Amino acid sequence: MYLTSVLNRMPIDHLSTTFAALADPTRRAILARLASGELSVTELAEPFEISLPAISRHLKVLQRAGLVTQGREAQWRPCRLEARPLEGAADWIEDYRRFWTQSFDRLDAYLNKLKSKEKADAGKRRKSDCGSWSSRA
Amino acid sequence: MPESDARATAGPGQAEHRLTITRIFDAPRELVFKVWTDPTHIAQWWGPSGFKTTIQEMDVRPGGHWRYTMRGPDGHDYPFDGHYVEIVRPERLVVDGTIHGVPSQGVWTEVTFAELEGKTKVTVLQVYSFESAATRGAPIGWNQQLDRLTAYLIKV
Repeated sequence: MYLTSVLNRMPIDHLSTTFAALADPTRRAILARLASGELSVTELAEPFEISLPAISRHLKVLQRAGLVTQGREAQWRPCRLEARPLEGAADWIEDYRRFWTQSFDRLDAYLNKLKSKEKADAGKRRKSDCGSWSSRA
Repeated sequence: MPESDARATAGPGQAEHRLTITRIFDAPRELVFKVWTDPTHIAQWWGPSGFKTTIQEMDVRPGGHWRYTMRGPDGHDYPFDGHYVEIVRPERLVVDGTIHGVPSQGVWTEVTFAELEGKTKVTVLQVYSFESAATRGAPIGWNQQLDRLTAYLIKV
């Protein structure tokens, strides 16, 4: 359900962490690269013009936000994308889209009701000028 | 930073996201603007289906406060409040608000009402911002590009 589900499913602080982690072009680029598969830190750093330690710092932010995990099994410790926090952020926005879609549906129905009422009132009065919206607005 | 167009509530240190949504209503612009800015009218349609909105305060002038409560089908109340920033009758409405009365969760809303051959095209732009221990001091930069990235990443 609208809002309830969002707040239960995704505490606002987690959402902030996700948004903050995503609020950097390098980190977004890292995530986009990881979308095509696991990569070692060295491989991940290749296309970027920043130092390996700088990449590591970005990776730490992404890991804290739960967007990236690093494997322990292999020696090259592959970085992996975790999509769940992104889904939470997307759901949150989706709930707001639903808010507006449903409000717009109700507004549309309400406007139609007002228009037919206006028409009926105007008919009763047999005057077309006294019931216009603008004169009362 | 390319995202420097983020306004008002999206200040430094805040993570933000935005949503744009458009609808054409078969009604004159004056009427659409009126039902958007009049407490008796707005209570009739504001909120998703099943929600009942009550207006506690609605002072439609720049700086004027507004306060609504949306009651969900489960009986839970969701309070929202804020103030009007800009009112250009019957074209434009800019509102600053908070979600559930939490100051760190801001919603900046710009509504434009455009005439379209007797109909009215309404565009709502909302910028949501969050400030918390997690986002404080973080660079801002949440933009539309991210919508696509998010959609893409979830798909793969």
